[in-house]
Amino acid sequence: MIDPAEIDELAGEYVLGTLDASERRSVEQQRGADKALDAAIIAWELRLQPLNELTPEVQPPADLFAAIERRLAETAASTVIPYSAMAPTAEIIALKGRVRRWQIGTLVSGLLAASLAGFIVLKPQSPLPEQSQFVAVLQKDAVSPAFVVSVDIATRQLTVRQVAADKLTGKSYELWLINASLKAPKSLGVVHDSGFTRGVTLAAYSPDVVESSVLAVTLEPEGGSPSGSPTGPVVFSGKLVQATP
Amino acid sequence: MQASSEADRQHLVSLLGRIADGDRLAFQDLYARTSAKLYGVALRILAEEALARDVLQEAYVKIWQKASDFQSAQGSPITWMATIVRNRALDEVRKAKPISMSSMGDDGADLDFAAETEHPLDGRERSEELRRLMQCLGGLDEERRQIVLLAYYRGMSREDLSRRFGRPVPTIKTWLHRSLAQLKGCLQS
Repeated sequence: MIDPAEIDELAGEYVLGTLDASERRSVEQQRGADKALDAAIIAWELRLQPLNELTPEVQPPADLFAAIERRLAETAASTVIPYSAMAPTAEIIALKGRVRRWQIGTLVSGLLAASLAGFIVLKPQSPLPEQSQFVAVLQKDAVSPAFVVSVDIATRQLTVRQVAADKLTGKSYELWLINASLKAPKSLGVVHDSGFTRGVTLAAYSPDVVESSVLAVTLEPEGGSPSGSPTGPVVFSGKLVQATP
Repeated sequence: MQASSEADRQHLVSLLGRIADGDRLAFQDLYARTSAKLYGVALRILAEEALARDVLQEAYVKIWQKASDFQSAQGSPITWMATIVRNRALDEVRKAKPISMSSMGDDGADLDFAAETEHPLDGRERSEELRRLMQCLGGLDEERRQIVLLAYYRGMSREDLSRRFGRPVPTIKTWLHRSLAQLKGCLQS
């Protein structure tokens, strides 16, 4: 995918809707890492979106909004517990319930300051709100960088936030999905130096694969592994397991 | 009308901001204002009410969860939401069956270009962007324009289009690429 014209054709067909299922999946996987492709897709969305003005409005079934609210409530009821498969010394803190960004920041700094050890589960103070994000804070020890991984079960979107780590110079953290059914570790992209890395999609992988996969963060040359395979040491690895509520 | 549609846009932007903070009333308001349009989009692609309903449900769950990702600089809220719906609907229609429902037994009468572009749309205002896009679509050959519109509105794959127009898939693919390039050039000029 070097030729800009090819990128534009692929992006145009993706937005137009003519690609088959596997091509769509492949575009969705690629766009996370390929800025040119992502930009071309957004440009085509903007070019073609006026067509939606001509789509006639149709009232959806009257009970649909109630069904959506139920779905949001169900999403809130399920839960994710991170389990460290490869880093037995990791301290794992599972936060359940809707945790806003500022709350994550506050909790993490508070917990780090206290140099907590062991396995801590924070129970929600109040009954679960009707919507929920699932958050795991993963850390090897008090001085290692910590990663906040949140998984949106409904959309299989994963967000990673790196906290409490020195800025890397000339190196990047890269996130990998490792599963026996996949031939090699699949890169989920480079973890941003600060703030959030979002839009990491697991949509290409079935829930079974996601649940049985190991997530690993490795230390790579700046911008990520040049070879497409992990080259550096594993800073963290762990497993996301969906537990029964 | 221009002023009121800009006001609508601003309102949707502020609703998404409130939804990002977990405001359920804002979500309800957003649903009331946008669901008929988005259901129309899903229904055209899926041609089956039960599927369109499921897709719309998932799309709104995603809109609720992703509201904070919306960047008003990147486009209008309705575009952002319609993109979520279209992508879900396209995934669904490709997954459900190799040939999309809408390509079978559909005479495409409601996609007649003239009907969609020349009739006044019950007083609905058309944006400058739509007027421009229509001009450019008008520059394509009839058959190629139909192909673009059937793909966008009906979610037809290259295979669906190949069957419908009795042309080999590679020909359809070439036509699509040329049409897209021509549209892009026309919109830039």
